[in-house]
Amino acid sequence: MPGQFPTPAMAEAPTATATGAAAPSRDDVRAELERILTDVVGDDLLLDGPLTDETSFDADLQLESIEFVALADQLLATYGEQVDFVGWMAGMQLDEIIGLTVGQVVDFVVSAVEG
Amino acid sequence: MPSPPADALGFLFVVPPFTGHVNPTVPVAARLVADGHRVAWTGVPGTVEHLLLDGATFLPATPPEVTGYAGEMAARRSDLRGAAAFKFLQEEVLLPLGDAMVDGVDAAVDAFGADVLVVDQQALAGAVVGRRRGLPWATSATTSAELVDPLAGLPLVAEAMHRRRVELQLAHGIPAHVAEAGDLRVSEHLLLAYTTAELVGPLAVEAPVTFVGPAIAGRPESDDFPWDRIDPSVPTVLVSLGTLNAEAGARFWQVAAEACRGQRWQAVFVAPPELVPDAPANVLVRRHVPQLALLHRVDAVVSHAGHNTVCESLAAGLPLVLAPIRDDQPVVADQVVQAGAGVRVRFARVRAEELRTAIATVLSDEELQAAAGRISKSFAAAGGPAAAASSLVALGSGGVGGTH
Repeated sequence: MPGQFPTPAMAEAPTATATGAAAPSRDDVRAELERILTDVVGDDLLLDGPLTDETSFDADLQLESIEFVALADQLLATYGEQVDFVGWMAGMQLDEIIGLTVGQVVDFVVSAVEG
Repeated sequence: MPSPPADALGFLFVVPPFTGHVNPTVPVAARLVADGHRVAWTGVPGTVEHLLLDGATFLPATPPEVTGYAGEMAARRSDLRGAAAFKFLQEEVLLPLGDAMVDGVDAAVDAFGADVLVVDQQALAGAVVGRRRGLPWATSATTSAELVDPLAGLPLVAEAMHRRRVELQLAHGIPAHVAEAGDLRVSEHLLLAYTTAELVGPLAVEAPVTFVGPAIAGRPESDDFPWDRIDPSVPTVLVSLGTLNAEAGARFWQVAAEACRGQRWQAVFVAPPELVPDAPANVLVRRHVPQLALLHRVDAVVSHAGHNTVCESLAAGLPLVLAPIRDDQPVVADQVVQAGAGVRVRFARVRAEELRTAIATVLSDEELQAAAGRISKSFAAAGGPAAAASSLVALGSGGVGGTH
């Protein structure tokens, strides 16, 4: 899957991670997550307004399991192997999965990229 | 109660209040009766009896107020999807009903004189009673999702659910070492799987599994279907979201109508007609259809990936477009895709062109059709209700399993 859908974000990503020094900011990551989710979910993702840190994947976005898989693939393609979304979710209890928010995924991506 | 003849056995089916989990037991029980055995069902009263054959014995496992609870929970479930739906099903439906049914199932064993329990995978009380009394009990896996470990990627969730099922056993007097050793969803004696290895793929559970294929024979169907509306010269697609979801699919029906509009196929929607107000000329909308008969007249099926509809479609050799909604449906959908017999789309956010492409694919792709044909053959070879009945009789006669 990685490499199949070249995007501007993917072209930029290696620079951001390869230099190591320029870890993406939370705002960068949230914007990138919004782009990925729009791609995965479709344009009506943002009908109810922009994503916020409090936007929930289960209650608000109602992400389907096939969309979670696509999100994990795109995070991997964008940020590289250190952003192991599937492995991260494997450490969660059910209530944590139900309560998962955009802000938590942003924090996870930022800390995973920083290493 | 007089003892039954030496070779006749009493089989008690323990079922949850879900139509799709009761239906497959009916042809299995009919076969057992034809072979001279006795059968009865126990479960939540008011949710089972109307699905059984006339004259069937039903022993209520719970007092009337539990029927109200089950109905209320079913209504609340229909609003939930994803992980929240999973939590609700486990914590508000399966575990409380399992707890509430134990005493009634135990009494039913005595009242009926059960020699073998046939326990639906979601009727946990039957497994508790079987283990507590040391009776031979079989798991009846009416959906195959739990056989492939859908929680494999979420080990903490799987462990938490296992603990809850251990606690249920401890609460009903099963010794800790016995409760810890087993899994209420997987009998150590016999697991009847109403599918085949060709569809389900590698199993994640260690159990004495008998694949019997779907148990779909002999369901009476009323037939007021306007067969003359089906043009035999044009490919036909059946679109069904199952008995529980037709109302919830308002958006899906609109999208499906647009997907079909102007195409060179015709479609039968099993939907409330008011949800498809502007149906294209090539779409026939019916609230009810004689599904088994119709499956022999169509070329492909669009389904919510309920296990029974999927198996009935594949038994007829039909490839599927799968739009799973909740519960086991995403897992079942993925099984069909892995087996090469279907294409998966999203349910809530599917677009007309996405669905149109998927339908066109299943109507034209020979590999998908060939895979559906292979699964159909494996179903036919698995033996269905007769194979299930003979495995159950062998269990009751001490011929298979035993404890391990």
